[in-house]
This record gives sequence, C-alpha cells and structure tokens, in this order.
Amino acid sequence: MKYITLWVRRYVTVYGIIMLCTFFMCLLFNPASELPVVTFFGRIMVFTLIALLSLAVYYSKEELTVKAWWVRTVLHLLLLEAVLLPLAHAWGFWQSGTDILVYAGFILLAKALWHLVDYSLNAKTAAQINEKIRENRLEKKSERNANPRPGNN
Amino acid sequence: MRVTVEQIDPKHEEELIVRCYDPGAAWVLGVAEAASGQRTICGWQEDTMHRLKLSEILYFEVVDDRSFLYTQAAVFESKEKLYEFERMCAGSTLFRCSKSMILNAEKIDYVRPSLSGRFEAVLSNGEKVVVSRKYVTDLKRMLGV
Repeated sequence: MKYITLWVRRYVTVYGIIMLCTFFMCLLFNPASELPVVTFFGRIMVFTLIALLSLAVYYSKEELTVKAWWVRTVLHLLLLEAVLLPLAHAWGFWQSGTDILVYAGFILLAKALWHLVDYSLNAKTAAQINEKIRENRLEKKSERNANPRPGNN
Repeated sequence: MRVTVEQIDPKHEEELIVRCYDPGAAWVLGVAEAASGQRTICGWQEDTMHRLKLSEILYFEVVDDRSFLYTQAAVFESKEKLYEFERMCAGSTLFRCSKSMILNAEKIDYVRPSLSGRFEAVLSNGEKVVVSRKYVTDLKRMLGV
C-alpha cells in the first residue's frame, strides 16, 4: 500500500509538471492550435507514464553512490529527451528548429522541478525528524537530572 | 523445565535467579541479556572475539559480501548476514536504513536531505551515512514522528 501511494503521488506530481510545461509550450509557440481536451490529457498521461517508466535507469541492487546517482541522472535526462521529443513532435507539440530547443529546455526544467519538489519534501521530513531527535534528547536529559544515578555526582 | 514467576510488592527490588546445570549455556546467557536489557553480538578483530552491546553499535554494513560492525572507537567484522542481524535487532533502536546498512537511530545527531533524493544522517562521531527514502518511514515510526 505504501508503494502504491508513493507511485500515485509521483504520477500526479510528474503529470502536473508535464501538463504545465506542455501548456506553456503550446501557449508560446502554437497559441492557435486546438487540441480536444480528452486527447490533450490522454497524451499527457502517456508522457507521464513514459517519464515514470524511464526511472528504471536508477534501479540498482546496491545503494547508488553520489557519483553513480549523477551519472544515472544525466542518462535519465538523455533518455527522456530521446523518447519525449519525437513523440511530442508526432503529436504536434513542437514544429520547427527553435521549438525543439525550447521543448528540450522544458524537459530539462521539468526534471529539475521534479528533483526540487523531491528535495523540499525531504527537507520537511528531515526537519520533523531533527525536531523529534532534539525533543527525545531533552526528555532523556531531564529524566537523568530527575533520577541521578547513585555515585554519579 | 519448571518456570516460576512470583509477583512481588513494588517496595522490593525485582530479581531474577536462574538455577541451571551450566551457567554458560546459551539460554542462560540469553535470559541474562534479556533481563539486563542488553542484547549483545559477536564482533571479530583479527582472531579475537568481542561481545558488543547493541547499544554500542553505530551501524552494521555489508561491503563486498563481508559484514562489519562500527562502534564509536573501532570496526569489527561480523559473521552475521544483513537479514540475520536485522532479525536480531527487532525491537531495538537499530533499523534498516539502506540496501546494505542497519543504523542505530540513537546515534544520529541529525539528518539532512540530499540532492539524490535520499537523506544523509550525521552520526555522533561525525560520520555521514545514507538513509534511503524507502526506509525513512521506519525511522520516523521509531522516533514517534
């Protein structure tokens, strides 16, 4: 259940990021385009699914070192660009040479945003943990002060 | 074996007396450890065996299929596998923190997020270890967050 919740949350986050990026891309370069709502949302759902499936590049039996994590992050970005750019072109999200650069930039931005969201959620969790560690320490200290061991003075 | 449990008045000190044939028998040592609240594990340094209290251990790590126990002052090799050690630690302050490590929550000074989507725990000796997000929920539960 824990994993299902985690992946649903990831799906929703990535979906939101991709939708925003694609929306602004269309608004900037193809404002006159008309996409049926269902088709648009359906395509974004496919994009999200691909983005999440590509996370398999991070899979490892052993804990990744920081260097290995960076290598895989670059590989993941390249994989996303290689898969999403042709698909987006086929679906009419970008047309010309300049568009491709901007769309590639949007993918990079979306990935950076994903890591930023992840980092800020982790920072919140870390703050909660640190607060609890501090509380537990103070509690133990006051317990020790209240019940000093014989001969400990 | 006959087991006798006697309920006493809180005014008296609690006491455990074991009547046995062999005071060195594993079950006797186990009872003594459980009663004192101090579970121990064997750690090896060259050919010398040391008995280490679980509360002394900073973390247990598997590197290249060999297991190591880290305390504040020294490193010991262990014969336990990760899953065996994890089973031994049930109910203690040690928890699985990554694919190859079991960490003592009591020895964590503070944690901080890392860019790699994981956490970095800074221990009481200043050492930094990785805590996977997958296992951070166990740490939160243990601390009561």
